[in-house]
Amino acid sequence: MTRHTARISRAGLILIGLILLAGGGTALARGLDAFPAVLGRAGAALLSHAQTRYPAGHAWVWPAAAAAAAVIALLALWWLAAQTRANTVRRLSLEPDRTHGVTVLPADAATGVITDELESYPGIQRASATLQGSPAAPRLQLSVTVEDHADPAILRTRIEAEALAHLRTALELDTIPTVLRIRFSPAHHRHLA
Amino acid sequence: MTGIASRQGDTQALSPAPGPPRAGRADAWSRRGPRRKARRVFRPRRTIPGVLVAAVLAAAGILGAIQAVSAALDRPLWKLPHRDFAGPLQHTHWNDTATLAVAAAVAFIGLVLVLAGLIPGRPRAIPLASGDESVVTGVPRRSLRRSLARLAEDVEGIDRARAKARMRSVKERATTRLRDTAGLREDVHSAVQDRLAALDPLWLPRVKVRLRRKAGG
Repeated sequence: MTRHTARISRAGLILIGLILLAGGGTALARGLDAFPAVLGRAGAALLSHAQTRYPAGHAWVWPAAAAAAAVIALLALWWLAAQTRANTVRRLSLEPDRTHGVTVLPADAATGVITDELESYPGIQRASATLQGSPAAPRLQLSVTVEDHADPAILRTRIEAEALAHLRTALELDTIPTVLRIRFSPAHHRHLA
Repeated sequence: MTGIASRQGDTQALSPAPGPPRAGRADAWSRRGPRRKARRVFRPRRTIPGVLVAAVLAAAGILGAIQAVSAALDRPLWKLPHRDFAGPLQHTHWNDTATLAVAAAVAFIGLVLVLAGLIPGRPRAIPLASGDESVVTGVPRRSLRRSLARLAEDVEGIDRARAKARMRSVKERATTRLRDTAGLREDVHSAVQDRLAALDPLWLPRVKVRLRRKAGG
C-alpha cells in the first residue's frame, strides 16, 4: 500500500521480466539459427540422449533441483507477502524519551478522532484514515468524500490547518507525512453519511 | 535574480531570498519538488501484476520442488513418471514451430513485465497544490471524471456528459437535445474550467469540450 511496496513490486517485475526475456530470446535465437557457433544447431533436439541420462547417473541432480525450486518458491512467497502487507500501525508510542516510561495509544483512537472531526465539517460526507509505517514516525493516508459543490479550497485549508494540526498535537509529532485523497460525490447522497 | 526583482518593482526587490514568501498554494504551483513528490505518490504501484507473477512463481517453485523430491526418492507422485518428461523433449527440435512459439511467448511476457516495472504509468490521481509540505493531495481520476460529468450535466440544456481526466488535459463529451446550441459549449467549458481552477491542481489541465446534438428535442 505504500511507495516501498511499489518499489518491491516494480523491482521484482523487472527482474523476472529480464530473466524471461533473456531465456525466451536465447531460445528464439537458437531456433532461428542466429548464432549457431555460440548457441548450437537449430535442428538439434531440446534434450540430447546423454542429457536425459544425466540425472540417473548423478545422484545429486534431483536433490539440487529440489533445493533450487524450494528457494525460488520461498523467494516468491516472500515477494508475495511483501507486496500484500498493509503496513498499518496499530499502536503509537507517544513518549519519545523511554526513560520517562512509554505511553501507548491505539492507532484507531487517533484516526477515529480525525475522521470524526473531518466528518463534522460542512461539505465532507465521509472520511477515513490509516496510519502506516513505524509507530514512532507514522505516515497518514487520509481519504475524504466531499460534496460536489463544496469549496475545495476552504476544505483543504481546514483539513491542513485544523484537522491535521490537531492530530499532530495529539500525537506530539512535528510532522506527519500525509497523502490526502479527495473524492467527490453528489450532494443528495448526504443521508448515507 | 536582481534583474527579475527590479523588473517586478521595488516591493519585490526588498525580498532577498529567491522565491519571496507568498501564499502556500500559489507557491506550491511553481515549485518542482511538490510536483515530483505528487507524481511519485500517485504513480501506479503495479501491485496486481506483481502479486500475480509472485503467485505463479511460488506455485511453480512448490510444484517443481515436489516433483524433484519425488524424482530424487524415485517415487513419482503423479501418473507421469519423471523420466517421461524427457521423452517429448528429445523429439522436439529448437527450430520447431512449437518451440519458437513458446520462446517468443516467454520473451514477450518478459518484455511486458520489464515495461510494467519501468514505465511510470498514468497517475491514479490528479495532484492538487497543498499549503503544507508534508501533505500530498490528489483527486482520484475516476472520482474527478464522474464529478466533472455531473458538473456538465448540471449545465442548462445538457442531457448527458462524460469526462476524461488526465494530468494535462480534461476532455468532456456532452450531449444535448436543444436545437439552438449557441453558447452551450462555452458554458460547459467555463463550468469545467472554473471547477478545475477551484481545485488548484499542480498542473492545470487544458479543457476540451465536444458537444453532440441528439435529435428529438
